[in-house]
Amino acid sequence: MASQDVVHYDTPLQKALRVSAALFLAVYLIWTLLPFVIMFVSSFKDLLEAFNLPDVGDWSGVGIFFEFTPTFEHYSSLFSEGNFGRYMANSLIAAGGSAIVSVVFGSLAAYSLSRVEFRGKKDLFFWIISTRMAPVVAVMVPLYSIFRTLDLVGTLPGLILAYTTFNLPFAIWILKGFFDNVPYAIEESQMVDGSTRFQAFWSIVPLVAPGIGAFVVLCILFAWNDFLFAAIIGSGGAKTLPVATRELVQPQNIQWGSIMAAGVVTTAPMMLLGLVIRKYLVTGLTMGAVKE
Amino acid sequence: MATVTLKNVWKYYGETPAVKDLNITCPDGSFVSILGPSGCGKSSTMRMLAGLEHISAGDVLFDEERINDLAPKDRDVAMVFENYALYPHKSVFENMANPLRLRKMDDSTIKDRVEAAGKLLEIDHLMERRPHELSGGQKQRVAIGRAIVREPKLFLFDEPIAHLDAKLRAHMRGEIKHLQKSLGTTMIYVTHDQLEALSMADYIAVMHDGELQQWGTPSEIYNHPVNAWVAGFVGEPAMNFLTCDLQGNGDKVHLSHKNFEIPLLSEQIKRLNGARKAKQARMGVRPDALSISMTDPGEPSIKGKIFVNELLGGDMLVEVELEDARIRVKTTPEFNGKPGDSCHLTVNRDKWHVFDSGDGHAYF
Repeated sequence: MASQDVVHYDTPLQKALRVSAALFLAVYLIWTLLPFVIMFVSSFKDLLEAFNLPDVGDWSGVGIFFEFTPTFEHYSSLFSEGNFGRYMANSLIAAGGSAIVSVVFGSLAAYSLSRVEFRGKKDLFFWIISTRMAPVVAVMVPLYSIFRTLDLVGTLPGLILAYTTFNLPFAIWILKGFFDNVPYAIEESQMVDGSTRFQAFWSIVPLVAPGIGAFVVLCILFAWNDFLFAAIIGSGGAKTLPVATRELVQPQNIQWGSIMAAGVVTTAPMMLLGLVIRKYLVTGLTMGAVKE
Repeated sequence: MATVTLKNVWKYYGETPAVKDLNITCPDGSFVSILGPSGCGKSSTMRMLAGLEHISAGDVLFDEERINDLAPKDRDVAMVFENYALYPHKSVFENMANPLRLRKMDDSTIKDRVEAAGKLLEIDHLMERRPHELSGGQKQRVAIGRAIVREPKLFLFDEPIAHLDAKLRAHMRGEIKHLQKSLGTTMIYVTHDQLEALSMADYIAVMHDGELQQWGTPSEIYNHPVNAWVAGFVGEPAMNFLTCDLQGNGDKVHLSHKNFEIPLLSEQIKRLNGARKAKQARMGVRPDALSISMTDPGEPSIKGKIFVNELLGGDMLVEVELEDARIRVKTTPEFNGKPGDSCHLTVNRDKWHVFDSGDGHAYF
């Protein structure tokens, strides 16, 4: 159905509601964006300028926030002294690796659950989802104990495995819905056309691509922003950005400048990713339907 | 091209048999239609032929080769699905080229074959489009195109035109029949529409409840149905059935009903006397084997009252009310009887049928 313009006449009440809605949104926008703005601006200030604040109630002094000489010293120290290049690589490998592992196994499992009938299928599917129901904290201790026995603590493969434990059920759950929406006749037609079972599966992967794309993003976001796994399982050898940032808070010395710069370094890639794939993310999450 | 033989084929879904002891031989190069209502096992049969379902018991032979255990890709059949099953992300050209690409043919052969098929089906101007930019009829042509570029041994068409509108369906019937004749490839065409089967096929296999009811040419199926079920399923408007008594014996037997008493022809009496079990029987007569008149025609006829007239363009269908039933008669639009008038129906006794009142098999 095409949308169309509906003729609409406001009553005074509706006008008032609309104005207050706009006001609310404006306040909400400031509330959400201000921390990012402060973080971004502060990362370019040296320490003295960063704490140069107007007096309470002095609204005309707001301009003081923007009176500074930009400096890149925090960024350069992050990467030269702080070894943040390494941590960023760790974050990327852990997030990307877990996304790839989850998407490969997740799509195979989701496909099977979508196409093959077998006894206990419903129970199996529920079990898969239920592994995602426990809070991360609850499984942390047993997971740590298992990982220590297997010498996986403090390694990147360990961290990837830990993220996969949580991402894989999620992948199966999301992707099954996408496969369910692809008519089976397409694969049957492929097989009669001369393809093997696996080629038939492969032929419909492009049709679930939006789902896979959306999932990969959510998966990377989960791993990239994660602190708990990274702090406990990744600690030491596989330090990621959030953990490294946390370590800049030292008992005698909170390095505000570096923390702000680290915050920008951590946030920026995900924001860029979000912008680039925004279009696919929306279609992926809202429109699983594949029309015949 | 191949002769397709099904020998004692069964299909079970769990405990439920969907196809029961099916025996069919489709001659090489023939157009065979499997006709039946939904749930009669026709689609299961087709899917077993394609290799999309396992064959529970029995054998399927292409020529002399048993193909039960071959994967779909090794059977060399091409199938057209009810919902077309085109690849939504590929162009028309790539859809049609797909089976050839899977066979690793070189690009120039693929191009030639796809273009030839496109010309044949009059879709050569749509080659760069995607399926969602096509109308139902065009999609269906692409699906057929994808089947014919292969030059397979056997075509399987699973209700390919069921989703088209009536006018396009009538057009496509002719096209598909012409296509099959010009390619000369054996075709098995599943449909629930008796008109499609009658108008297109060389042979029809009528199925009901998983069992083959009758195998024959369209004219055999229409004119000599083996039982009341086939007689009632084939033909539109449907055959009229009336429960009658069989009275008399020797060479004088007539069908007796509250509204009429009509003697059988002597040839029919001979057939009946050998087989008859009960006193009752079901008379079956098609609307076009009856004629209606407002005056007594002076020969044995059925007396009734006009219930309603339906003008169908070139024909008029008159529903006539009897004591315990209504029957339909086909006549010309000039017929001027009014609802409520008494009328007389004469039966063309060469074209009527008598079925057993128990199992419904046809005496003649």
